[in-house]
Amino acid sequence: MHFSLQFSLPPVITALSPRSKSFSHQPHHHRIKKLTSHVPKSPLCSTTECALIHQCKEEEEEAFDGRVEDQTLPLGLRPEALPRHVAVIMDGNRRWARLRDLPVGSGYEAGVRSLRKIVELCCEWGIKVLSVFAFSSDNWFRPKVEVEFLMSLFERGMQEDTGIFLRENIRISVIGDLARLPEALQELIINLEEATKNNARFQLIVAVSYSGHYDVVQACQRLALKAKCGLIEPSDINESLIEQELVTKCTEFPYPDLLIRTSGEFRVSNFMLWQLAYAELFFAQSLWPDFGEAEFLKALLAFQKRQRRYGG
Amino acid sequence: MDFKKETRILYCWIAQIGNLLLRSLWRLIHVIINLCYLTLGIAKAFESYLISWGILRRYKSLQVAKLRYLAIVVESKDACQTSKIIELLQWLADVGVKHVCLYDMEGILKKSKDFILEELDGAILFGEAYENNEIPDQAQMTLEFASFSDGKEAVAKAANVLFMKYLKSGATDQNQEEAIFTESQMAEALKTVGSGGPEPDLLLVYGPARCHLGFPAWRMRYTEIIHMGPLKSMKYGSLIKAIYKFTMVRQNYGK
Repeated sequence: MHFSLQFSLPPVITALSPRSKSFSHQPHHHRIKKLTSHVPKSPLCSTTECALIHQCKEEEEEAFDGRVEDQTLPLGLRPEALPRHVAVIMDGNRRWARLRDLPVGSGYEAGVRSLRKIVELCCEWGIKVLSVFAFSSDNWFRPKVEVEFLMSLFERGMQEDTGIFLRENIRISVIGDLARLPEALQELIINLEEATKNNARFQLIVAVSYSGHYDVVQACQRLALKAKCGLIEPSDINESLIEQELVTKCTEFPYPDLLIRTSGEFRVSNFMLWQLAYAELFFAQSLWPDFGEAEFLKALLAFQKRQRRYGG
Repeated sequence: MDFKKETRILYCWIAQIGNLLLRSLWRLIHVIINLCYLTLGIAKAFESYLISWGILRRYKSLQVAKLRYLAIVVESKDACQTSKIIELLQWLADVGVKHVCLYDMEGILKKSKDFILEELDGAILFGEAYENNEIPDQAQMTLEFASFSDGKEAVAKAANVLFMKYLKSGATDQNQEEAIFTESQMAEALKTVGSGGPEPDLLLVYGPARCHLGFPAWRMRYTEIIHMGPLKSMKYGSLIKAIYKFTMVRQNYGK
């Protein structure tokens, strides 16, 4: 049984099956079909009945011929207006822990769980790239114990989730001044990036030891070295060339369409300064470990509602 | 066969009724949500008027000294409304904000700068007062006018300046991993090309989209960004509230 919709209402669910809670098993997807209805308003006559039955039959067949787009979108989200690249500043882990009288490490672990959930949702809803600000270059000034915990958390997280990334066709990229990271972590990153480089379903970009200033400076530095080697003319150095040397060159969609920052702070904190010129900024009140599907949906709906003119 | 046909017809009728019910429910949800937003909008407007009339006590004494540098981003099509811009600047002057950067992507405000400076008694251009990377402490309001050319284009020019210096220094072959440029060198280079203003503490975006439209990226590391809505609907109370909220913020700067 399915519903034919006459007006431009959101797509409806055509089959009921439980949604998967994690990446641990093959998810059952809701079949969502975008329909335009040709159903007449007047009471059915025999001719119309036949036409209706015929249409019902056609649509049922079409639902199973594999040509229908298979997305699990909540009602209200328009698939054609989804952001391709979402960036997130995952703020509020420590505050979350303090509010619960828990050690700071518990906050970060809760943050990792929240990240896993958002990655799942991005995969389900067809968002192509998610960039997350995991550790800024300013964070190196935090207490040594905390920094070491974070480094081990990154390492553990990457090791534990490697299987999931491979199975779910997720590409991992890590951006930032990686030379400052422990060597074991650097090696793990290189191996994971290499192992997932051909995965095309979804890309997760993790910014570690990253700053927007660093990104711009290293791009200019690369260009200067290229110019010195004669690969480019000094007069060729322009915004376009700088953009090609930013660390976000690892992705097909280097400019976030939407930036979400949690914990109620209204700033970008040195994250992707160059790339965020035209991004929609969404500042969520909840702390990152509490940022779930409902808030993510709210951010996406707000994105779809806003008029973006790209400065025009 | 007839039974199957009857069943199909029944299902289609049920689908039709279900369709109608869903449609009605959808419309009802829309109405409820619109009412909520309308109520919220009315409440915000009312609060704004209360702030303007000085009724809400906590907004009466603003710690404006915390706001050393304010930036305002407007859409270029709104930048032509010079009277609105001047009104906004006069509000800021009344509140005690001393240093303001006005930005629009196409540089419309830059073209109107003489007129704006004339209309604001005693205001001077920021560049004349900004020396040694210090925001000057003076009674007059200073205004800076910026556009897209002060953002990414300026970084490209600064990159050229750095490159020329690098060539002149005669540095030998460097490994790509070694730092030959630093952030402070880039900041200096930006100043050299005329786009080296201070980092605003607060950036107010007037426009339909919550987006800073290419405001010089280098200067926005820790800037608080508040979306104020369209310029034509600007309210004094909303401005005060935004500045008040900023003065209450405590930044860790990542530490």
